[in-house]
Amino acid sequence: MDAGTVIAGILTLAILTFLYRDNPVYKLAESLLIGVSIGYFLVINWSNTIMDLMFVPLFTQGKLMLIIPLILGLLMFGRFNRKTTVLSRIPIAVLIGSGAGVAIPAMLDARTLQQMSATVTPILAPDGLPNISELVVMAGVITTLIYFYFSREHRGWWGKSATMGTYFLMIFFGTTFAYTVMSRMSTFIGRMEFLLSDFLKLTQ
Amino acid sequence: MKKLESRHYVFLGLFVVILLTMLLNVRLEIRVSPETQKMYNYIDSLPEGSVLMVSFDHEASAVPEIKPLALSILRHAFKKGHKLIGVSLLAEGTGIGYRLMQETAGEYNKVYGRDLVYLGFKPQYIAAILSMGESIPETFPEDYLGRPYTQFPLLDSVKNYDNVAGVISIADGSLTTHWIEYAHARYHVPVTAAVAAVMMTTYDPYISSGQLHAMVGGLRGAAEYEKLLKIGGSGRRGMLAQTSAHLYVIAMIIAGNIVYFLRRNKRVKS
Repeated sequence: MDAGTVIAGILTLAILTFLYRDNPVYKLAESLLIGVSIGYFLVINWSNTIMDLMFVPLFTQGKLMLIIPLILGLLMFGRFNRKTTVLSRIPIAVLIGSGAGVAIPAMLDARTLQQMSATVTPILAPDGLPNISELVVMAGVITTLIYFYFSREHRGWWGKSATMGTYFLMIFFGTTFAYTVMSRMSTFIGRMEFLLSDFLKLTQ
Repeated sequence: MKKLESRHYVFLGLFVVILLTMLLNVRLEIRVSPETQKMYNYIDSLPEGSVLMVSFDHEASAVPEIKPLALSILRHAFKKGHKLIGVSLLAEGTGIGYRLMQETAGEYNKVYGRDLVYLGFKPQYIAAILSMGESIPETFPEDYLGRPYTQFPLLDSVKNYDNVAGVISIADGSLTTHWIEYAHARYHVPVTAAVAAVMMTTYDPYISSGQLHAMVGGLRGAAEYEKLLKIGGSGRRGMLAQTSAHLYVIAMIIAGNIVYFLRRNKRVKS
């Protein structure tokens, strides 16, 4: 058995001790996780971002245009001093402006227009019979939107539609929560398989 | 020693259920869902030698669930003779993706540089996705180990998404959404996903609208995929444990509600 498997097995058991209560063994494993994650993140970002995207192209390939993002990046450090804080607003403005410019059209298209288009489909199947799933989707979209329309009091048929919208929302929340439970169980089963087969060698 | 509370017994019960079912090592018969079948058919129907981009967009904490899924898909792609370009848009997934690709490439005697290349991590995922649409060699001038892009025969004809048959995003979070919003919407490259079960309801609307071509999710998805590939794996091994754990959770919910109503009735009467 290699050292990595032994360390991973011991740390997994250490983390699982939290199920009983908080304890020093768990704290040690938790601190190790945080420390290693941050260290790994820093190394990866140093080599892949600061070196690969800034220093190497700027100083060895002579890409002088990179001086602009370098200066903008340095201005962010202005936040460390109250007198120079205002300077950090420049790179933040550039980030927000360019980020919004890139994201808004893409999100509007993918999350709104395309989704609306998928909702507006024929409610009759080619054989002339009602397309049940489309009817359910349509009812779900309309009644949920009614629920989130607060400029009119939820009374009468409007209120009943809003109530129906809450049922659709509850079904969605229930499904999402069930998938979350399933996901966490899968993670635990995956870890148990590692403990039983790789670490303790009890199963194949 | 601290006195055990009711939650400790619930955890202990779940632990015993999963431990016993895993020690039994019985394979549960499962039915392949249409979603998994669609994903399988997609990879299966691509012409041999198609270039697929596999993006490892997950954190280390998701590995127990993501690994069986990723292995199944990589095995299928290599078995069909497809060429794979690996990337990662989350720092934590970088090393894991490299290991998984190397492991499966070894099983099918695939040669690095000819059948697969791992380009590694690139920060700022939206910028990286958009940049690859213009030029992959400019986005990744080197592979994960620092060797130049031009050194690999597989990458000779790969300039941008036009030369890629599809993108497979292996994710535990929302990164697949960005592949849909930027790579699919702007460059029309087909995007498929292998995701943690917790994300499946997030991506279901994209399947319905056709923005996401196919999706397979969770340990169950891995088990179904393994069945289609006619291979054993963690997914199929874990199905009895998962089913038993779900039944245990349902039993606990029912028991919890019965206890709640009994206590409430008792309180009302008193």
